[in-house]
Amino acid sequence: MHNVVIIGTGPAGLSAALSAAAAGAPVLLLDNNPRLGGQYWRTFTEDTEHEQSQHFDLETGLILINAVKARKEIEVWSGAQIWSASHQQGVNTLRVIYKGVEKIINTKNLVICTGAYDRTLPFPGWDIPGVMTPGGVQSLLKGHGVLAGKKVVVAGSGPFLLPVAAGVIKAGGSVLELLEANKSHRWLLSPLTLLENIAKFKEAFYYIKTISAGKVRARFGQAVVAAHRGDHGELESVDIAVINRNFKVKKIRNVKCDVAAIGWGFTADTSIAGALGCVQVIAKDDGVVVSVDNDQQTSIPGVFAAGEITGIGGSDLSMAEGVIAGLAAAKYVGCDVNVLKVHRKRRAKKQRFADALIKSYPVKAGWKSWLNDQTIICRCEEVDLSDLKHAIEELGATDSRTAKLLTRCGMGLCQGRVCGRSVVDLVASEIKISPTDTDRISAVNRPIISPIPLGVLAAGE
Amino acid sequence: MSGSDLQFTFDDQIITAKSGQSVGAALLAADVRKLRTTRFDQNPRGVFCGIGVCFDCLVVIDGIASQRACIVEVKPGMKVQTQVGSNA
Repeated sequence: MHNVVIIGTGPAGLSAALSAAAAGAPVLLLDNNPRLGGQYWRTFTEDTEHEQSQHFDLETGLILINAVKARKEIEVWSGAQIWSASHQQGVNTLRVIYKGVEKIINTKNLVICTGAYDRTLPFPGWDIPGVMTPGGVQSLLKGHGVLAGKKVVVAGSGPFLLPVAAGVIKAGGSVLELLEANKSHRWLLSPLTLLENIAKFKEAFYYIKTISAGKVRARFGQAVVAAHRGDHGELESVDIAVINRNFKVKKIRNVKCDVAAIGWGFTADTSIAGALGCVQVIAKDDGVVVSVDNDQQTSIPGVFAAGEITGIGGSDLSMAEGVIAGLAAAKYVGCDVNVLKVHRKRRAKKQRFADALIKSYPVKAGWKSWLNDQTIICRCEEVDLSDLKHAIEELGATDSRTAKLLTRCGMGLCQGRVCGRSVVDLVASEIKISPTDTDRISAVNRPIISPIPLGVLAAGE
Repeated sequence: MSGSDLQFTFDDQIITAKSGQSVGAALLAADVRKLRTTRFDQNPRGVFCGIGVCFDCLVVIDGIASQRACIVEVKPGMKVQTQVGSNA
């Protein structure tokens, strides 16, 4: 029997590993972090009592992590950096740097659970040290025990802003402002889902309790639209705007702070799936995700995907998908096992909640009006909006791929992970068209998964 | 075991960190926010995404440039320097 190879140890990867192993399949579990748990269950020390304070539900994570460690069928490679992935004649090849040496894995069977990272939008001053993603602020707290700053503004859109604000308060920081760009009543768009998933609101109330104790009141319909640096070049203040339903600025006030954590939901990290050639599609939030069937199988037979990379939906949906992907992958390698109706029902319920989330926290087109010609769009290559406009107006670019080639926008070290999505929207908006799916998908095409030193390759096996 | 104290340097400044922390986290804990200057405009940059995605927190570690401070684990005696441009 072949190994089931699983990439990622967040909620989806851990669930997939456990269900595949329980079905009798030997599992190789790869992860680029030093410890199991992914971004959601990221921890710093073994002192779980201390760790609990930064988590709503670390218990579930620890149950899964300990179960994975206890299963002798599961071999774990933590700190494994996959730098290249390719697919040829039914075989998937992963090139991995593990313990300083390159290893090559050839497998017909793969479960990809590579998760997501914060979606960011460019705005004037977003490159100033002190402007961060909410995920970055949280990862510093959860993974390193470090508070990014004492006076923090948390802003953007989506339910993830709540745990980040609560985490800052619990670590002894002040949240000066908690700003949700959308209006709170958007949840009323999905009344049945609200009732069906009422347990989810326990989680929201858990964070709101901490936030209220920190004397912070969330404001809706407001956003950070500019950041300013002080004499030392670091963040000194942000401009906070009251915005309308389309995110156009109505009026502005200035607030002094040392950290601004700003995020707009998440972007799926489909780099590995994309490099293998898995078909990708556009989700309801306009993000690029991996297309899967009812068994979580991608367009490549034997390659499965679960969790955020198949559509942003949170840890519960990720676990439900992971279980199905693990079972289906085990069946694919010959285990006598089936995905049950109960598994699909659970996934469907979590999916309805995820859909309601997307509907409640849209990113509206008006964000583009916050930018000026000098606003950096591509942080890596220091391309500003005027460069992008020049490529369109003077050089004739009519799609983001051409604009990218003419400006180097999205061609730096991050390979467009940060700006790619925004560039597609900006180019389309400049030439007054809607972005095509091909345009969006080509923006996430990355031949190298992660840059690595050449010396390591030379020393490879 | 994560959490015991260790020391490293950042541009000749001695910094105390906890084992298991990343270089970037340890520097932020010591209130160091500017980690590099950009190649063209010489603008300061620091930790942005915090999880290895954005490549903005690049520093020189023990003579090797363009390392992501947010994901490299800090080690005793490490020599970390501000990255100026591409430092090539």
